[in-house]
Amino acid sequence: MAKQNVRGRYRLGVDVGGTHTDLVLEDKKTGSVLIEKIPSSPSNPAFAVLEGLNCLFKRGIYSNEIDFFSHGTTVTTNALLEKKGAMVGLLINQGYRAICEVQTQARDEGNPHDHLFQRPPHITPPSLTQEIPGRVDYSGKEIIPLDLDEVEKAVKSLEKQGVRSFAICYLFSFMCNKHEKITEQIIRDHVPNAKVSLSCEVLPRIREWPRYSTTLINAYLVEVLADYVLELSEGLEARGVNTPRRFLMQSNGGVMPLSANMESETVHTLLSGPAAGVQGTAWLIGQSLSIDNIVTLDMGGTSADIAFIQNGNPLEHQEAIVAERLVAVPALDVSTISAGGGSIASVNAAGFLDVGPQSAGANPGPVCYGLGGVNPTVTDADLVCGYLNPEFFLGGRIKLDLSASELAISKTISEPTGLDLRSSAIGIVRMVNARMADEIRVNAAKKGIDLSGYTLVPFGGAGPVHAAAVAEDLDISRVLVPSKPGAFSAFGLLCADVMHDYIRSDLHPFFELSPDAVENSFMELENRARVDLVREGFSETDFKFQREIDLRYGGQGYELRVPLLSVEPPFSETDFCTLAEEFHQRHEDVHGHAARGAEIELVSYRLRAVVEESKINLSKSSSSDDILDTNCLFRNVIFDENTIIKTMFKPREALRKGERIRGPVIVEQIDSTTLVPPNWSLTVDEFNNLILERY
Amino acid sequence: MKIKSASLDPVTVQILRNRIGSLTDEMHYHFFRSGYSTIVRESRDFSCVILDPKGRILVAPPMFFHSTAYKYLVQRIYQIYGIAGLQDGDVFISNHPYEGNLPHVPDMGVVMPIFQDRVLVGFSGSIAHKADLGGTIPGSTWGQATEIFQEGILYPPIRYYRSGMLNLDIERLIYANSRFPETTLGDLHGQVAAIDIGRQRLQNICEEHSSKTVLECMDAMVAAAATEFRIALGKLPEGRAEAESFLDSDGVNYSKAIRIHVSIMISNGKVIFDFSNSDLQGRGPVNIRRGLLEACCFQVLIGMMDPDLRYSDAAFDTVHIKTRTGTVVDPESPAPCSSYMKTCMTVIDMLIEAFGKFVPQRAAAYSGGSGGGLTINWTGKGRVPRGNQYEIFGSAYGGSASQDGTSGTTVHLSNIYITPIEIVETEFPCLVTRFELIAGSGGDGRFRGGLSVRRNYKLLESATIIFRGDRAQRPPKGLAGGKPGRASRFLINPNSSDEQEMPITTTVDLEAGASISIEAAGGGGYGNPMDRTRTNRRRDLEQKYV
Repeated sequence: MAKQNVRGRYRLGVDVGGTHTDLVLEDKKTGSVLIEKIPSSPSNPAFAVLEGLNCLFKRGIYSNEIDFFSHGTTVTTNALLEKKGAMVGLLINQGYRAICEVQTQARDEGNPHDHLFQRPPHITPPSLTQEIPGRVDYSGKEIIPLDLDEVEKAVKSLEKQGVRSFAICYLFSFMCNKHEKITEQIIRDHVPNAKVSLSCEVLPRIREWPRYSTTLINAYLVEVLADYVLELSEGLEARGVNTPRRFLMQSNGGVMPLSANMESETVHTLLSGPAAGVQGTAWLIGQSLSIDNIVTLDMGGTSADIAFIQNGNPLEHQEAIVAERLVAVPALDVSTISAGGGSIASVNAAGFLDVGPQSAGANPGPVCYGLGGVNPTVTDADLVCGYLNPEFFLGGRIKLDLSASELAISKTISEPTGLDLRSSAIGIVRMVNARMADEIRVNAAKKGIDLSGYTLVPFGGAGPVHAAAVAEDLDISRVLVPSKPGAFSAFGLLCADVMHDYIRSDLHPFFELSPDAVENSFMELENRARVDLVREGFSETDFKFQREIDLRYGGQGYELRVPLLSVEPPFSETDFCTLAEEFHQRHEDVHGHAARGAEIELVSYRLRAVVEESKINLSKSSSSDDILDTNCLFRNVIFDENTIIKTMFKPREALRKGERIRGPVIVEQIDSTTLVPPNWSLTVDEFNNLILERY
Repeated sequence: MKIKSASLDPVTVQILRNRIGSLTDEMHYHFFRSGYSTIVRESRDFSCVILDPKGRILVAPPMFFHSTAYKYLVQRIYQIYGIAGLQDGDVFISNHPYEGNLPHVPDMGVVMPIFQDRVLVGFSGSIAHKADLGGTIPGSTWGQATEIFQEGILYPPIRYYRSGMLNLDIERLIYANSRFPETTLGDLHGQVAAIDIGRQRLQNICEEHSSKTVLECMDAMVAAAATEFRIALGKLPEGRAEAESFLDSDGVNYSKAIRIHVSIMISNGKVIFDFSNSDLQGRGPVNIRRGLLEACCFQVLIGMMDPDLRYSDAAFDTVHIKTRTGTVVDPESPAPCSSYMKTCMTVIDMLIEAFGKFVPQRAAAYSGGSGGGLTINWTGKGRVPRGNQYEIFGSAYGGSASQDGTSGTTVHLSNIYITPIEIVETEFPCLVTRFELIAGSGGDGRFRGGLSVRRNYKLLESATIIFRGDRAQRPPKGLAGGKPGRASRFLINPNSSDEQEMPITTTVDLEAGASISIEAAGGGGYGNPMDRTRTNRRRDLEQKYV
């Protein structure tokens, strides 16, 4: 799979979303791009992918000219949400079953006032959990030998119950993996084709429950993903897409080959859904236009996804809750709030306005769709305020019923609050905008980010309608709307490198470590990475390693990641002080104070192995001869309680490159609508992005 | 397109409420992530809030039971310093259960007035459990204390910063009176940094919306939550219900149980909780101060009526709480208060029992209560850990009218994280040798009580063990025909020839090599066991729950 094999003309990105499957085909020769959008096929997602391919073939694309295929899928996320994973057998140290029953002991996601609180059902109930004598202590020393007979008995018993996917979770396996490895071998000897997830491979990190939870989820989903990949690969090959360069999007913004070892990698796809759009922004907007600091706002029908790109890099987090379950692998840090076009507005018992969390979704959808929705939504308010053109929603595919929206808002909002229709509608808009701004503001603050100097990049159908107002609330003075906000995630799939993350915990006082010990720990991770990458078909010259360490003050509960950017391998004596100072600085940036006198502990070593892939580049928009000369429509638009302005609606195709238009103006295109408020201006850059700036 | 609303409207109020909620969230995040002591970092026993100028809470924190204390702390600061005595940049601290209504002595409250253009617009505040603030034993939570003075050094509300200037004298005083001064001051600095974030953010909001609008919206927010409460209360049937419940003992006099009693009266859209017939205050530290009793009442009101309701300090015009001075729920100084959690758990289970009459569909049997708090003060010379080991355990919920109780969880007011075994063993010279659900510990019933947890330790160095538990003599009640949950136990050297069951509240010195076992109480069952479905019985067997 080395790069010299690259011969074909096309690179294809396929993103499967909840409602649509988007295909973006890049022609490397001309730089042009073909887009296909077809309805998703939730019961068998591969079907829509292959159907999309057929559509491309009909447009004259030859399958053997596609030499790169990158795919974003939510099959694992959906299986977890719908509880459709495999039957998993768990092997755990004898006497420690409660780790999986008690979990964090807290009602993390539950309401602490609710004495009827329940946890989601166990992935492995006690009947599928086998306890094995054997134990390693905190230093990695064996204190009870592993009972091989018990392992064998346990494996046989689980196999008899129908288990084919096994999770092995032993205490301190990140310090010594011997017991887990031996157990794995016994399983493989007894159960042909078993899928085995080892906690020392999925997540060799200290704190047993996050590690076990992540390992269990991996075991639960490994077959789901493996089956899907197999079906997809066969389908691709049947259609003549034979390139070995086939990739899957991961949560960390990188991709993995379809040939990767799913027994340890499956869980890395769980949060990949929103990652592609963020990765696409980082590359297409960040790198191409040299915009280092970006907030992304992906606002769709039911929710808004928010992420940050700082100094060109999307921010990551280490733990997330998916479907009420804890997953602890590096993922692009995307926070989701229930603020979408379908979010329902209501008046609460105290007489105040609420927007969300309930959503009318796509069905019945907003009242104005006329599909039976009766609760007013954000889209209805957008329509009443005049932001949407009832005749040109989704390019005219749906005619919106303005009077139905007005009626619903009057009845549900105006009557109980005494506000007039206009104030009610603008109130809904203000509220949803404020909720998005709050989410951005609080997340920025938690990450130590100062938003001034940031650019807001909205995508998704509703993002560009609300972006300027959200930016205004946050004192952000620039908004950039990409040229195809509706298919942006599929673009993101063509912007990613192959990326594998490795971690190993080994808690020690930082300054008591020797440089050799640190170097050896990294070498160990590098060797692991090398084995994986070579197995996936890459050669030694293809990959690069990035090192990081997790540090904390002695006894602190959480760590900060410190990248080893300023120190060169091999690790040397002076590097301790350099990194300690970077840690103090980072602690101060993030938490507002540092404790320079306190002891520092190293908690984990991290390694990221990267194989660079070529990426799509923005094509400069062709000349301006194909500009439409249309008669622009003017409509009354409500900007606030006291401001109604006759505003121009302009088709996106009618905008000239470099042209600067003063707001208010509304730009319409098939997949979105961009609202430019009165004190904002609009320009179209050479890549056909819309730039909104406050003046 | 920023909309500047001069006047109060239902949109702006809600927008500001969300905004204050998210800034509270931000304060929590910062404090939690930088917390030094085990109790803060793994257990999250802390809260951060924004208060209005009257000291009323605007958005209740996740650690809900701190909510009711803040207004008393602020009132006391007003009494001492007067409104004119507050200056921009002041920070007040107090850990005093009687003067400041803090839950117990190790909980340090920190409050900072917020000024905008010289107008007081509110307070930023935080309460967090400290590693040690002096007193007879490490950790400042002695289960056998008979006076509050044994529980630690008392700091009445005092000025820690004056106009932005740290008072080093106070800091030296705290330092000199703590067994773990670095950790204690490290946490305190984190608290100050967190509430300073609250101050800055509220000032930003005032700049955007004007102080006047913010102050008006604060009033409206507090009132709105009270209105929601009134509406919910109005839906309940009128009537009277009562219940009683017992603590094993006050921790000092083991032979005498402590009775708590409530009579609840709902009429005219108001609810009266009357605790006057409860026992006199205990000699030991099971007494709870007013703030905590209020928290118990609201926990149950919200849990029974609608778990999504939000607490408001203004709801007291519809919720009345009567007590008799000198009782366990209204103690007089110097009655000790450190073991408040078991009393709160007992009060809450009792209130749920009584309230079940008004909301039968949410009725539930008794939970296992607090699984207890373990403090280990390591005294050996080999591996010397940084500080003392402190862990808090959950138990299980009781069965209810609709479902089995959840197993192995903190309940009610406690929402505390268990310290991971891998952290415990890496930092302290011990082995966790067992961590399992106790089969059969949930009371039988149509809906079974949840199973509680057993956690055993082997000590690798000598140590003083302090354990504070409850429900060993009085197991959690079953209701509506359900059986009680299994009682809790605290054992030394379990499963050996010198196994010894200790009182559930114990202080004991042990040598290296000794073991301890902690068994929390299981949840009570709800409904007649004869009515339990065969499917549920079979599952109990398959999953080794019985």
